[in-house]
Amino acid sequence: MDNAAMLGGRRLLVVEDDYLVAMDLADELTDHGAEVVGPAGSVKEALALVAATPAIDAAVLDINLRDEKVYPVAEVLRTRGIPFVFTTGYDAWLVPEAYAGVRRLAKPVDIRALVQSIAG
Amino acid sequence: MEANKAPQGEAKAGVPDSELLRLIFESATDFGIFTMDPNGITTSWNTGATRLFGFEDSDIIGQSADVIFPPEEGGAEAAAEERRLALAHGRAEDERWQMRKDGTRLWASGLLMPLANASSGFVKIVRDRTRQHAAEQQLHETEELFRVLATNIPQLVFRGKTDGSRTWGSPQWSVFTGLVFEDSLDFRWLDAVHPDDRDRTRQAWAEAAASRQYYCEHRFRRAADGEYRWHQTRAVPLGEPTPETEWVGTSTDIHTLRSLQDRQKVILAELQHRTRNLLAVVQSIARQTVRSSASLGEFKEEYERRLRALGRVQGLLARNDHHSIELRELVDMELHAHGVGDTNGKISVQGPPVLLSASAAQVLALAFHELATNAVKYGALRRPVGKLSVTWQTDDAGDDQIACIEKREAANEIREGPKRKGYGSELIERALPYQLGARTRLELGRHGVHCEIVIPTKRNGRSNG
Repeated sequence: MDNAAMLGGRRLLVVEDDYLVAMDLADELTDHGAEVVGPAGSVKEALALVAATPAIDAAVLDINLRDEKVYPVAEVLRTRGIPFVFTTGYDAWLVPEAYAGVRRLAKPVDIRALVQSIAG
Repeated sequence: MEANKAPQGEAKAGVPDSELLRLIFESATDFGIFTMDPNGITTSWNTGATRLFGFEDSDIIGQSADVIFPPEEGGAEAAAEERRLALAHGRAEDERWQMRKDGTRLWASGLLMPLANASSGFVKIVRDRTRQHAAEQQLHETEELFRVLATNIPQLVFRGKTDGSRTWGSPQWSVFTGLVFEDSLDFRWLDAVHPDDRDRTRQAWAEAAASRQYYCEHRFRRAADGEYRWHQTRAVPLGEPTPETEWVGTSTDIHTLRSLQDRQKVILAELQHRTRNLLAVVQSIARQTVRSSASLGEFKEEYERRLRALGRVQGLLARNDHHSIELRELVDMELHAHGVGDTNGKISVQGPPVLLSASAAQVLALAFHELATNAVKYGALRRPVGKLSVTWQTDDAGDDQIACIEKREAANEIREGPKRKGYGSELIERALPYQLGARTRLELGRHGVHCEIVIPTKRNGRSNG
């Protein structure tokens, strides 16, 4: 399977506050055939995107945004039944009980592992 | 020696044998025994007295025995007072400094009694207790030292038994815990221990005897404000631990130390977080540079330049403890890195002090780096006639902090300005607005490059990625 086919046509929300990391993630996901929604750098922007986008297939959420945590976005995604993964710079970051089962990817993100967890 | 005189007064009822008494008198060399007349003139002097005081019979018999009273003890007056007391009470007993023939002093325990026939005078029995006295003094001094130490060091000092019961607590203990002496005895001191730590505290005492030392970290309640503060308690037995063996211990306030250790853990996690984020940025720069490079050689050159710029701003941030840094520092650093400084009027850098967050500094540094590189490669800094100015100001109208950076190059000096928008443009036109909420304008014209960046203060806050 070539790269572009792996995420063929999937609509992915990317939430990441660092522009360089966000663009990199968006570019890589696009290369794998995804249609990127965002990226969004804050909870507010992310929530606006989620509300405005009817069909999101999955999301990649950086836990620590500038002055806030991404959990409000995760909550909305969960109620809409949209799967998501977390990215974080902390190895031993404690997530709330509700998100204990959510897949976490350490930065710098292994794009293959990310793609597989979304495609799978 | 007129031994026959002494037994007369000294004789106890039922011991009539004057010969026996004479033998005792002479053989009791550990005791100085001598007699004197009512005025203190020596009438007999045994071997023990010679040994103790250094006076031979011939020196002292017929002379006043008052010479053994040194001046600081009152001399002859004190001797007379002793005789008066002996007459009044039947005996006078004391411990005091006495003086030898050579003037040295000895600590003497003395008993003076009138002879049966008071008009015959007195008998005095003296024992040398100089060594014991010195030992007692030393013990006293040691105890005093312990007391001073125990009551003046910041640690809470206690004494107790092998099971952890207490027999003494220093004043600091009482001051800290508010538990007075009686309220701290036996196991009542446990009242000051945090309820959650009491089991651990007692368990450590149960194990103390086997290891011959006690160690526990637990919280004591500070009476002054009710705060439970972490203490480290150590104690050791004075000798082989039996149930009755005394233990001495101290409790040291390690609350601040523990807080610092906790803080250290946070800092370590933060460091790891920064490192991982930085690696993500490095990864991003690598892939972005790959995308824009025509050859591996071009990639290598660009990538290394960008990594160096990233390294420089990291160094600057590290020197500022990853808090805010001065905009001027950042600008100067990038210009300097490109081999140009604020000299010859060719370059002007002006503006009031403006602080940048770590997040803003990183993106701005990379953006400045791209601008400076272009200026060196194609623009103002390539030719001697070019000019570059970087200025900024703070907008006092609202809460927006404005950084205005201008770059002007003399006309016709642009050799081949970059036609397509490159990494620098992306950083300025997209990264700054995305990450800092900045409004930016970038014009690449024949007369040079004009760049404006407006950063709202509220977005120039601390970054935590």
